[in-house]
Amino acid sequence: MGVVNGDYERLLDEPFEDGLLSLVAAAHELKSPLALIRQLSLMLDEGEISFDEYKRIVKQITLTSERALRLTSDLTKSVRLNDALFELEPINPNQLCSDIVCELRPLFAAHNCSLRLVAKKQPALLVANRDLLRRIVMNFSDNALHYADDNNLVELKICSLNSGNVIRLGVRDHGPALPADVFRKLRAKLSSAPTPIHARPQSSGLGLYISGQFADIMNGKIGVVRHRDGATFYVDLQASSQLSLL
Amino acid sequence: MKKTTVLVIEDDKWLAEQYVRVLSRAGFETKVAYHAISAIQFIDKKLPDAIILDILLTGSTAFTLLHELQSYADTGAIPIVLCTSLAGDLPSNTLGYYGVKKILDKTTMRPDDLISSVRSVL
Repeated sequence: MGVVNGDYERLLDEPFEDGLLSLVAAAHELKSPLALIRQLSLMLDEGEISFDEYKRIVKQITLTSERALRLTSDLTKSVRLNDALFELEPINPNQLCSDIVCELRPLFAAHNCSLRLVAKKQPALLVANRDLLRRIVMNFSDNALHYADDNNLVELKICSLNSGNVIRLGVRDHGPALPADVFRKLRAKLSSAPTPIHARPQSSGLGLYISGQFADIMNGKIGVVRHRDGATFYVDLQASSQLSLL
Repeated sequence: MKKTTVLVIEDDKWLAEQYVRVLSRAGFETKVAYHAISAIQFIDKKLPDAIILDILLTGSTAFTLLHELQSYADTGAIPIVLCTSLAGDLPSNTLGYYGVKKILDKTTMRPDDLISSVRSVL
């Protein structure tokens, strides 16, 4: 049913290489958190709410603002990717993911969800830019949080592939499954990388597109695995040979 | 006296919570569905008196749900208030055929608009 005219439908099917589409996608992605913040602020302004409600609303405003700011920061970074040099270094994925779990714990708790790290005790180091990799995993985690059902667990998983040459960082959610047609579209996009992949239906997929760009510049790639009860979005990066020196 | 039941279908959990907060204070009984499937499950059990519906839902768009609701006489009669950030892109003249009685723009609406809209479609 073609009742939504113009830009949004194009966003679901077109790549973001067109600057205007990126701009429209960014505006679309930012509308939701801004609309929420506005509604909550108006609620505070009206008064007549209990102290507990007041505290909850203020917390929601803070966490929603932080989420929106992360997106704007990622956008800025992605626009400047070609003009900047990004240092690649050996990174302990366990440590990086532990830090992210700590950072996002309040956000997940406020959504009645939890975020957990699942990894071997001593995973291999990987080669990446710490800031960009952190942004990718944060982005996947934000995405997973949006789709996770109440009281559900989101898992950050670290594993090695390809005889230990590739390290995979995945974010597994337990929300509604990706519809088969959307999944096929995602897979098709992935097979013709570095074209962008998109998130689930109501998202423009801008966050995942940016993550794809970040992964690309680190010689990595992102992808998605569909599960019966959710999905895993992952980034694959080269393992560091430094481990053999330890 | 039986309370009016409003089903809120909104995948942003905190926005759904905000709608419930506003509607409950106005005396409505509220239920929340975060996606179209759970909305259908709820409607199968009990017909709400009105529905607040977001356009872009997890799993399928609201239009799939609107088609489904229009397939049956009883569900097709439930008045729907669309609450969306795409309000400017929607042709309000054709949405009436899908039971949509009112369209609210998430980016400009005020909390009270939700209450007055629900009251106006009942």
